Amino acid sequence: MRDPVIGLFDWLGRRGHEQLLDHVEGTVRFDLVDEADVDHWLVAICRGDLTVTREDRDADCVMRCSKAGFARVAAGEDNAIAMLLRAEIVVEGNARLLVMLERLMPGPPGASDPVSTARSLSTAHSRAAAR
Amino acid sequence: MSAQLVSILYGNNFVVSDRNGDIEESPTVPSGLFSFDTRFLSNWVLTVNGERLQALAVDDLQYYETRFFLVPAPVALYVRKTLSIIRHRWVGSSFEERLTIINHGSEEVDLRIRLDAGCDFADLFEVKNVQPKKGRRYTQVTSGSLVLGYERGAFRRRTVISTDEQAQVDAGGLTYSVHLTPHQHWDTDVVVHSRILGPTGDDVRKLIAGHDRPRHDVARDLDMWQEKAPSLDSDWDVLELTYQRSLADLAALRFAPITDPGQGLPAAGLPWFMSIFGRDSILTCLQSLAFYPELAATTLLLLASLQGTRLDDFREEEPGKILHEVRYGESAAFQEQPHTPYFGAADSTPLYVVLLDEYERWTGDADLVRRLEPQARAALGWIDEYGDLMRNGYVSYRRRNEQTGLENQCWKDSWNSISYRHGELPSPLRATCELQGYAYDAKVRGARLARQFWGDPGYAERLEREAADLKTRFDRDFWVQDGGYYALALDADGGQVDALASNMGHLLWSGIVQPHRARQVVEHLMGPRMFSGWGVRTLAVGEGRYNPVGYHVGTVWPFDNSFIAWGLRSYGFKDEAARIAQGMLEAAEFFQGRLPEAFAGYDRELTRYPVQYPTACSPQAWSTGAPLLLLRTMLGLEPLEDRLAADPALPPGVSWIGLLNVPGRWGRVDTFGRRSLNERG
Repeated sequence: MRDPVIGLFDWLGRRGHEQLLDHVEGTVRFDLVDEADVDHWLVAICRGDLTVTREDRDADCVMRCSKAGFARVAAGEDNAIAMLLRAEIVVEGNARLLVMLERLMPGPPGASDPVSTARSLSTAHSRAAAR
Repeated sequence: MSAQLVSILYGNNFVVSDRNGDIEESPTVPSGLFSFDTRFLSNWVLTVNGERLQALAVDDLQYYETRFFLVPAPVALYVRKTLSIIRHRWVGSSFEERLTIINHGSEEVDLRIRLDAGCDFADLFEVKNVQPKKGRRYTQVTSGSLVLGYERGAFRRRTVISTDEQAQVDAGGLTYSVHLTPHQHWDTDVVVHSRILGPTGDDVRKLIAGHDRPRHDVARDLDMWQEKAPSLDSDWDVLELTYQRSLADLAALRFAPITDPGQGLPAAGLPWFMSIFGRDSILTCLQSLAFYPELAATTLLLLASLQGTRLDDFREEEPGKILHEVRYGESAAFQEQPHTPYFGAADSTPLYVVLLDEYERWTGDADLVRRLEPQARAALGWIDEYGDLMRNGYVSYRRRNEQTGLENQCWKDSWNSISYRHGELPSPLRATCELQGYAYDAKVRGARLARQFWGDPGYAERLEREAADLKTRFDRDFWVQDGGYYALALDADGGQVDALASNMGHLLWSGIVQPHRARQVVEHLMGPRMFSGWGVRTLAVGEGRYNPVGYHVGTVWPFDNSFIAWGLRSYGFKDEAARIAQGMLEAAEFFQGRLPEAFAGYDRELTRYPVQYPTACSPQAWSTGAPLLLLRTMLGLEPLEDRLAADPALPPGVSWIGLLNVPGRWGRVDTFGRRSLNERG
């Protein structure tokens, strides 16, 4: 299986322009650590245009997380905001930039479609009520 | 109960204590020092020579500052008056208290001043329902400071209590041995820091840009805030009192997210709701547009930055949806609660579009409307894509998070708020009526924005067509023929949930009511089953679930009434709107100008006094905003292109109301409402 972290940053880089970030400018560096080393990913946002590189340079916002932890975020299995609150992610600088990028992270795998869920649950409920 | 509590706050740092300034753990009284949804002090009790103290007076200086004037507790009926104790406290980024003891007597005294200190580090969600903590608590004693800590994995919270070196510090508090000669006084400062620690031991907020604001900025900021508000002039004293109270409380309730400390938007209320709520923030901004339009700009930008982008069952997130609630405590961090953010609200998304349009009408800020075009389009898209769960053309809700999600995702969000007239509860999928009103209004307003600012007349026409169709269908499907009113909701089978409820008033505000129905709707709202004499009840007397002290099933909500008054005005029912304004403001007089979240639905004739609903939430943002919106409705203020139109209708007995320096696209203008002598009531 493909590394979800590489997949996520590839996808962000290929996205090119993100309308939701039209008025955002700044750089976010992701420092992903394990016992051996640190992987760096630098996402530059320029009026909605996204560029992803592997540079280790100063950024407006630096986030630090374990490689394993961020792999969960990249796979949609954990939530970056919750991880920020429990200090599994640490942010330095303009945290707002990270919050905006977080909106582009994948949601949980297997999330249900609200419309079909509501309709099937309601049918089940009506059947139960009729019995 | 809440009247006995004293609160000071700054952002989401706040201190709630009893009238002595003491804090004690209690499952019913939510006292403590709180910051970012965590309690950082749960025990804070001052004694002198082992005796508790008694308050002679409490001086609420500012929302962030209080002084308690205390004496040793009376023994029998005798109060020893030779000793005064003053606790002067304020909250900013830290909580600080200055203790002053004055010996008025002619003899020397030796005193043992003791400040007990302790902390349970409860999550705000655990305060009412105490849970065993999953992490480890610890205490460290050093010279001049006491550290209370809590750790659960990397989640670390710490309270650091510092004082001068003469104090003896032990694990349970601070002790000062004081010798006072006649007429001598003594004082000391105690500083309490709440720390949210990162892995390096630094406070995470220290790393985030913008969190460090000195205290004098807070005072200056409040002065500027009050100065820039329009000034009020009226012969109605309670209006003036309530207005000033509202301005100060609105200042206090401004809240900045942990990740964006520069921004201030209205939090929902103290103490349980000092956080971002989509619905509450939007409605409060609508109420206060004529006074502080910049609050709306901040709110629109912040909610846009957190707009839903994906499907998440736990958080009930969907693309385009506007959030319901953000929390920062332990339960959110460990995903025991879904508030990172939680999206369980079916009304915040259409209301977002309503606010954006109304904001532009007042301010002429076309740039913001253009800037937020993608988010506003996504919100409008949500109404049809995810709001319309049954694909029947109506916005409905049904929670997907069965454990911690909300059953009712409308403003009446308690479990029993939506019922048939005989009291049965419908199955969980519900399309409440006001949601359809908001959706209608969002489409009508979205069409204006698309045509005027987004250069998309085709989209505008589509939205207008959909709105017109919704209005027709709504009248057919929601009108209760044998009652002559709109049903509270439709159930999953499309049947009418036919209780008579205040939600109808919001329909007038949204404009979805057919003009020929308006008279009948108003007769219900202002009739004896709904109008208590103070305001419109949430549920009519005689309905199966009616209870004058039930949270959403019979109480009177000032915020609800302010929107009903706006709706009455927009359908031409000026006198009825003025009657609501009068009832609300006369009620405010009993609360020193601070309207509570809700009060009991008893007939005014019966109690003569508005009985406050037994909750501790005060001030609450949309109750604070209610008098502001009522001022707008009494003066009949309406932006018309680049001028502000006024069409006053004052309550009987009020001779004049002047509101000067009203900000907007016209710059600043003065407005007046006068009642001529021959029509004085």
